[in-house]
Amino acid sequence: MYGIIAFLRKFYFAVLFVVLEIISLIFVFSNNYYHEAGYFNSSNKIAGTVYSAYSGVTTYFNLKKVNQQLADENARLLHLASEIKDTSAHKKIPKTNPFGQEFNFILAEVIDNSTNLPNNYITLNGGSDQGIGEGMGVISPEGIVGVVVKVSSHYSVVMSLLHKKALVSAMFKKSGTFGTLSWGEKMDYRFATLAQIPMSEKVRVGDTIVSSGFSNTFPKGIMIGEVESVKEIPEQYFYTVRVKLSTDFKNLRYVYVVSDLRKIEKEKLEDDAANGLNEKAK
Amino acid sequence: MIIEAGKNFLRFLFFILLQVTIVRHLDLGIFFNPFVFIAAILMLPFRLNKSIVLLVAFATGLIIDMFYNTMGMNAAACTLMAFCRPAILRFYAPAGEYNADANATVGSMGLRWMLSYAGTLIILHHTVLFYLEMFSMHNFFTTLFKVVLSGIATLILILLTQSLFFRNAS
Repeated sequence: MYGIIAFLRKFYFAVLFVVLEIISLIFVFSNNYYHEAGYFNSSNKIAGTVYSAYSGVTTYFNLKKVNQQLADENARLLHLASEIKDTSAHKKIPKTNPFGQEFNFILAEVIDNSTNLPNNYITLNGGSDQGIGEGMGVISPEGIVGVVVKVSSHYSVVMSLLHKKALVSAMFKKSGTFGTLSWGEKMDYRFATLAQIPMSEKVRVGDTIVSSGFSNTFPKGIMIGEVESVKEIPEQYFYTVRVKLSTDFKNLRYVYVVSDLRKIEKEKLEDDAANGLNEKAK
Repeated sequence: MIIEAGKNFLRFLFFILLQVTIVRHLDLGIFFNPFVFIAAILMLPFRLNKSIVLLVAFATGLIIDMFYNTMGMNAAACTLMAFCRPAILRFYAPAGEYNADANATVGSMGLRWMLSYAGTLIILHHTVLFYLEMFSMHNFFTTLFKVVLSGIATLILILLTQSLFFRNAS
């Protein structure tokens, strides 16, 4: 016992150092640090307030570009609406939206964003009070952006597509052939890599890549980008495709958080079923 | 004593805000990623208890992690930096001893001392941070390149900030 106290007295500085390093490294290497260190991320009040104030100042700098994006999106949606009207003359419009799934789009403002780190995150001015939940997809007027990983009542943190762990199920718009999209090794904010495309697919430069809708995070058919170049991996009989992202990650201002209404319905159903069983057991 | 503590606290506030609002958004590409806030740790009084420096560095790292969503990485890097600081101070100690009123600025210690003291600790901090960030040694040389370039950027920014705001620091 005296030995331990004497040891601590002599080496308290080194011991303190080791303890603090161990705490830090537990945070770093825990797979889901958002649960272990729930408060220490940019969705908390302090970081949110600082970022809101900052973005309140800088919001004017890229207004022109943001206006252009929103105007382009309006034009595209008007075009889509007119197409739906045309077909309605011949057949009934299905009650669900064209994607076949019911989605709700929640508007949120980007208050912080980065593109030059190995793992980039986006902070949104909007949280659980606005209906945003963890696991929801985030899209911009131009294409997909990322996935919500943490929410507080007024802010949320989004894992950007520009993140080493980000994976999106993507497909060729024309053929439906799908693969997994991730951010490439080169860490360029304009490009991503689409892997495991079978060689039977005739890939052409400029082909459109959209979300496949398999994971329910994103609706089917949300724009991702265009084929920039193709690389063959002969021993695996697969193509690896370099994709030019349609989203301009340096000029993100307004984004939509995609809430899958059926997901809520499904979860509610499962909860009800579980509760029902519990009551019966009583 | 209290005035001294208040001054140090304000310096921390200044450097953290400078880091998360302005420096974070400089956007100089993937190789230049300066972390100017470590100047607040470098500029702590030389005679301050080294355990306090360690705790302060750990807390500051956590706050930066909070803004960067890099949970624990900056805390680990800053803690190591604070652990090595006494040894670095001893290594670069001028002939005789540090003056009682000396502090880690160019004005007080001279440019050459500042470059070697800050340079060593900056490289330590950046090495830990960027290798943790990349995790694998896959991009060993790319990350090394980033450590060096970002380190130079950090050093320049610290000297610039000091010459602008802390010229007569006491």
